[in-house]
Parts: sequence; structure tokens; C-alpha cells
Amino acid sequence: MLKQSLLIVLALAVAVGGGAASVGMVLNSQEGIGAVSVGPWTAFPDIGTPEADPYSKARVARDGVLALGRAEGLSFVADRDSTGVTLKSECNYRVEGSLPVARFWTLYATDRAHIALKSGIRRDASMHSLEVLRQADNSISVLVGARPEPGNWLAVGGVGAMNLVLTFYDTPIASSTGLSGIEMPRIVRVQCNA
Amino acid sequence: MRRLLHALAIGLIGAGIAHIVILLLVPSFSERDAWSRLAMVAGPNKVVRLDQEIGGTPVVKALDPSFFEAACRFDLTEGVVRIDNAGKVPYWSASVYDRSGQNIYSFNDRTATDGNLDFVVLTPAQMIDLRKELPTEFEKSIFVETPIDEGIVVVRAFVPDDSWKPTVDRFLDGINCDIQ
Repeated sequence: MLKQSLLIVLALAVAVGGGAASVGMVLNSQEGIGAVSVGPWTAFPDIGTPEADPYSKARVARDGVLALGRAEGLSFVADRDSTGVTLKSECNYRVEGSLPVARFWTLYATDRAHIALKSGIRRDASMHSLEVLRQADNSISVLVGARPEPGNWLAVGGVGAMNLVLTFYDTPIASSTGLSGIEMPRIVRVQCNA
Repeated sequence: MRRLLHALAIGLIGAGIAHIVILLLVPSFSERDAWSRLAMVAGPNKVVRLDQEIGGTPVVKALDPSFFEAACRFDLTEGVVRIDNAGKVPYWSASVYDRSGQNIYSFNDRTATDGNLDFVVLTPAQMIDLRKELPTEFEKSIFVETPIDEGIVVVRAFVPDDSWKPTVDRFLDGINCDIQ
């Protein structure tokens, strides 16, 4: 009798614990259903819309996100560089290549909890297309790091894992058909000051 | 031993069911969603700035640092809500979210008349009432018909550099979100 009830308790514990843990794990991962990946960049075009899958809906409710609408823009997040190594704020990166069409775009770094990193100096920790210097072929090359760099420099401070967020505003790629065959910049690690 | 394996197998099947149930219940029971966070800092029809931290934590997460945002909660059971403001900024966009934080309508300054922020959120029934006799002050407004009663309006404005901050501040602080 005791053995029987122990087994029932075990089955219930596995069911409730396993169910809760697996939901938490899926919601914390950057990949997921509804994600569109281009190189190292991932976007969730459906997040925050009524067409979103249940995982995106749960993520929106849990994190208190107010996602950009389709007429507003689309955000891409990268947590790894182009070779698949985790991005760290103590390293220097070069974001280079051409970008999809948009009225303008912004680039900034966040921590893993999606809070924007501060530069720690009197310089904005974000960059946008109206202030960027372009290459002769209209592509961009932005250096991300703590130390000043010539050309385009995105100042980041601190230590630890970071995400790079590239957001396009008023862009045709935010519609579902616009995402096929777009080109996104590479993220190349230059060096680490560990 | 066989009974232990049997219990584990039942537990795993139960875990699958619990996974689906928890996933579908998170949106209805979350106390950390945008609506709850906004309700903690301001009442309905009050415009709240999202870029300024209140009580140490940001009201809403994952915001672009190149943007200033303002939000207000509305309840359409008391009347239509008009969001308007005069002033020019380099770029603004507006979104209407339902209670669970889903974006149901969005537009930007290029979609608006003369680039002015002026729109009215209302239910289809209120739209029919309003169409009978359109008040003159609504002539240039954009009408956003929503199937919901409660929701959130967010206006985002782009700040290209520090010199634009006072202008964008004035633009967002001058937003009205009143029941008409």
C-alpha cells in the first residue's frame, strides 16, 4: 500500500516537475518555433501578433514584451558570432556586410536579459543608419568593443555574454514574404581582452 | 522494478500533458506582462513614459535605446479613446496592443494624415454610432477598430542624437489619451 502511494507520488512529481521545467527551458532559449534565422541573426516576425504560436505568446506574457508591429519594424537578435561562438562584451567584433532595405535601422548590445548595455562613457551605446559611415559599395562595417576605434564604433562596456540587436524600422521585410532571400551582415570576432 | 518503470512512464506522459497545459495557461495567469506592469505605475488613460525607469526597473523590457516611448492603457466600455498630439519628430510609430500584449494594429508617421499623430481607438459598434454623425474634430483622425475592450497604446519616437531629446520629450509628454 505504501509502495503503491510512493509510486503515485513519483509519477505526479515527474509529471508536474518535468512539465514546468520543460516549458521554462523552451521559453529561455533564443531559438524556437516561429524563428527566422539569417546567418547569426534570429528574428521572430510573428511574435506579439495574434498569429503567433503558443510559445511566442507565453514568452510575450512572461517577459512583459511589447513587440514591434508589422508597420513599425522587425528586430534581429544575435547571441553568437558567424562561427557560432557566444558573443561576449569583453571581446571586439566587426559587424560587416550589406543590410536589407529599411527607412532606417539601429544597432545596440544587450545582456542576456534583453536590457540594453551602457557604454560607461559619454557616448551612446547604440548606433543608427543616419550616423553610420558607409563603404564604397554601400555596405557597412561597425566595430563593437570597449576601446575607441576609427570609423563606426559601437561602444559597449562590462563583462559577460551579450546579444547584438539589429532593428529595421518601416521596412518591407517585416511582412511575411519580405524575409526570403535577405542578406544580413556577418559578425566576426577580432580579439578578446580577457 | 516493473512497477517503478510503469510509474515513470506515466509520469513522462503526464509531463507532456503538464507542458501543454502550463504553456497555454501562462498568458492568462502571468503577473509580469506589460498590462500588469503598466497597471502598477499608472491608472487607465494616463500616459506613461516607458524609457524612464520607475522604481529601478524598466516598465517594459527589450526597448531600443535610440527610442523614447510612451504608453497608456485604455478601456473602451466608457467611450472611444482619442490619442492625439501636434508636433514633428523625425519618426514616430504607434501600436495598439490587447490585454495580453499582442499587437493588433500598428502604423507610422508615413501612414498618417500630414504626418500628425491623431487616431481614435474604438469598437465596431462605436464606429457604427460615430459614422452616423461624424464630429468635425475627428475629420482627420485615423480610426482603429478593435474587437477588444481593454488594451494598451504605445507611441515610439526616434531620437537620432542628444540634440533631439528635448523635442522628442515635448512630443511624447504632449500626448493626450482621453476618453471622448
